[in-house]
Amino acid sequence: MTNDALTRPGGTARADRLLDRNHDTGGAKVKSTRWRALLRKPETSSFIILCLAVVFFTLANDRFLSPLNLANLLAFLPELGIIALGMTLLLTAGEFDLSVGAVFAFCPVISMLLVQHAGIDLGLALIVGFALTAVIGLANGLFVTKIGISSFLVTLAMLLLVRGSTLFATQGFPLASFSGETILKPLLAGSFYVGEVRFHASIIWFALLAALAFYVLNYSKVGNWISAIGSNRNAAIARGVPADAVKIGLFIATSLLAALAGTISALRISSASPVAGDQYELEVIAMVVVGGTALTGGRGTIIGTIIGVFLLRIIRNGIVLVGVPGLAFNIFVGGLILVMLVVHAAMQKRSSRA
Amino acid sequence: MMREVLRLENVAKSFGSVQALRDVSLTVNTGEVVALLGDNGAGKSTLIKAISGLHGIDRGRIIVDGKEVTIRNPRDAMNLGIETIHQDSSLAVDLSIARNLFLGREPVKAAFLGPLAPLDLPQLKRQASDLLRRVGIRKNLDADAPIKALSGGERQSIAISRAMQFFAKIIILDEPTNNLGVEETHGVLRFIKEVRDAGHSVIYITHNIHHVFQVADRIVVMRQGTVVADIKAEGTSILEVEAIITGADLHELEVDARRS
Repeated sequence: MTNDALTRPGGTARADRLLDRNHDTGGAKVKSTRWRALLRKPETSSFIILCLAVVFFTLANDRFLSPLNLANLLAFLPELGIIALGMTLLLTAGEFDLSVGAVFAFCPVISMLLVQHAGIDLGLALIVGFALTAVIGLANGLFVTKIGISSFLVTLAMLLLVRGSTLFATQGFPLASFSGETILKPLLAGSFYVGEVRFHASIIWFALLAALAFYVLNYSKVGNWISAIGSNRNAAIARGVPADAVKIGLFIATSLLAALAGTISALRISSASPVAGDQYELEVIAMVVVGGTALTGGRGTIIGTIIGVFLLRIIRNGIVLVGVPGLAFNIFVGGLILVMLVVHAAMQKRSSRA
Repeated sequence: MMREVLRLENVAKSFGSVQALRDVSLTVNTGEVVALLGDNGAGKSTLIKAISGLHGIDRGRIIVDGKEVTIRNPRDAMNLGIETIHQDSSLAVDLSIARNLFLGREPVKAAFLGPLAPLDLPQLKRQASDLLRRVGIRKNLDADAPIKALSGGERQSIAISRAMQFFAKIIILDEPTNNLGVEETHGVLRFIKEVRDAGHSVIYITHNIHHVFQVADRIVVMRQGTVVADIKAEGTSILEVEAIITGADLHELEVDARRS
């Protein structure tokens, strides 16, 4: 890069204008502003609500923290969580993807069909499945950036196309998942015990991918570009940021993450269903937004998304445990999302005024 | 000693059947503030976008420091030392001051990782703080504060500082005082003079002719996609310039002015 230009002496330096008043911020003051900054973060309020939910459900039903319930909770949670990571980056860049739920079903179904009908190896079939998934992401990205159609419409159409193709290819029937011996199965959907709680490999994948996404968004060069594109696309382009390429890359990454989650799920339950992942797109977007990422772009948080994933899953799980009828639980989830959004909006207003 | 840094020769650009620029020729010298004036649709924005790499040109030559160049994208322009501050849109408001200052030119460690390379955050922060002091932003601004928390004038100062930091030869300001208060506008105008005194060249686009007379050395007026006047600011008057912009008869304008 052109950093050498910065260290060049002379130039426009106007050192005579050094006017650094009130520089003596005492230690205590720094500490208190740091606390206030922490409190003002959207993740903090989500985290507090998450803690309250855990405490509430634990008190309401002692089975909430039982090994069996925790295992159930953690088996399912990473699959949505992995999609949510991609969605967070995409939302931060100002776009979103409604086709993730359809892709979640598409990749394992196509791979299993290849295994069953073409008789090819699962590994190879998955490579084909993921390659097709990448094409779906690429198509989303090209339509949004090069033709300039809103991502809402493009990915809504893609949702129907992909879900329709998956249903048609299987005639609507679920496929028995791969039963032979392969390294992929324990790698993607194996399980292990920590104490009495059974964990699935997916939680490790989720943790690793979350760490990667956290690094990318907060500490890498492209992370700076992602936030800048979502915040002010024209400004980013004027600074030479390849905005279209970044967005296309994010669409592809989001599709691939949804495909990975779908594959993990199919291997775990030994069934690739063409209706798997129905409405996951909305659940995932809700998780991301509840965590504090702005739906309008520019402001994204991976920590918040992780909190949002746990919060929504725990509430779904806990509401059933405390005896709310299954059919009623969307009422609570909807209410909770609204409350979180109001809290974030109120904090956002306050911080921009400060 | 004045030296030519930028010269445009017979630049033309059309969008479909609309000819936005025709035969535009223009020179800019070192340490000079050139005001670019013209009514809406006169071609000012198109010209600026061509120089800053947001779109190409169909015909003509662009010469920077005596060498003919092709500017295909904003990065080309920045590498040639041309920094543009676009109207209201040059900063990403959710990002910190430091991240904005280095947007698109982030200092990184392990550069071989390409876009995934880690930002050199300590260096980013240090250079940003240095810069904020150096360019004389008097308030004790924290380089980590988001742009959102700044006033319009502060934002404009940040955008101009960013242009100055890479020792740009030519700084293009597209209506930098839009939406600014009186005090902030004076700040920006003062800033422009300082930028010139430091040896940069400035192309200053505005609708406000009063501001032009405060800072400009030369006035270039565009009408219908071409340059219709290129005059020294000294020795001309507001009415005269207004007449050129609108293409009206100077005499009529004077009569109007007396009547109102």
